[in-house]
Amino acid sequence: MADWPKQVRVVEGGMEQLTNIVVSPGELEAIARLLERLAQESSASHVLLLDKSGQVIAAQQQSSERDIVALGALLAGAFSSSRQVAEILGERDFRGILQQGVHESIYTSLIREHWLLVVAFDKQTHVGLVKVLARRASDELERVLDRVLSGSAAAKEQVVNVQFRNSVENTIDYLFRD
Amino acid sequence: MALINVASREIQCKIVYYGTGYCGKTTNLQYIFSHAPQPARGELLSIATENERTLFFDFLPLDLGDIHGFRVRFHLYTVPGQVLYERTRVAVLGGADGIVYVADSSPEKLEENFQSLIELETNMRRMGNDLSRFPFVMQWNKRDLPNAVPEATLERYLNRRRVPAFPAAAVTGEGVFPTLRAICKAVMAGL
Repeated sequence: MADWPKQVRVVEGGMEQLTNIVVSPGELEAIARLLERLAQESSASHVLLLDKSGQVIAAQQQSSERDIVALGALLAGAFSSSRQVAEILGERDFRGILQQGVHESIYTSLIREHWLLVVAFDKQTHVGLVKVLARRASDELERVLDRVLSGSAAAKEQVVNVQFRNSVENTIDYLFRD
Repeated sequence: MALINVASREIQCKIVYYGTGYCGKTTNLQYIFSHAPQPARGELLSIATENERTLFFDFLPLDLGDIHGFRVRFHLYTVPGQVLYERTRVAVLGGADGIVYVADSSPEKLEENFQSLIELETNMRRMGNDLSRFPFVMQWNKRDLPNAVPEATLERYLNRRRVPAFPAAAVTGEGVFPTLRAICKAVMAGL
């Protein structure tokens, strides 16, 4: 997929470093406010913001956390799949997909090539309204997400330091021992 | 693309198991699911055909728990191995932070392994990634086969980058956790 953003940057020593999405408290608060408003205005049961690889960045939901993690993976998978379909059909891409159920429907739209906004809503809400509200929220989310993408190396360094890495490695050895 | 959510104090990373059809990618995840300690493992989700071939992907979230106040999660995915499903593999591969290449040690699969590795390299390059500089480990699976290709041969033909490689028999669990530990650590080192 040629348009996937470049994910690594070269660091000293030749090994590349993964580019991370670092979400600060201020940004998450702004995102949460926008998702909450969208959820209220569309009477949605779930509003999720995902990155395209399926990671859940923020969620307004009525389900358990475990379900949300699975939903993130499945919805991002469905969207990636639809983009491959678009390519086969000679379409540049599908910017949004609608999954229509008897009671619940899901509208997923792409924000700035990196993110997915997902709204799950019931039959009381018209899909046209959801699309309009999602579009408006996307415009506002873009501004916040641009800040997230520009990255806060300092914020990451505070968390992912040598001590933290050692503790993660020890936990990996402990949990995944033979 | 790893997600470091400073606000909700979470770190999430995506690891993809890649390889040819029937090489044992799903078996790796099934073994991890049944043997990882209870609080660490989430639900194993499989989108498979009726005869249990992977149609889209398998998904297993692993939760390392609280580390210095942060919750660290690794999300494991497999791709469908059948040659025809390249588009689906590309869809699953997007945003990966680490890759495990599962090679089938059967002699008749050597050529197919080789082709599938080239496909992986090509797809990663299209996404702007160089496998030589990416968290990447190999697993020589099905070492329990009586006619398994010698490891030295697999190294020679499939591991020209000399990345860490682990002999395994995923059906019995041999080599599954060493592979998992290696890729999780490689991903952490790349953060």
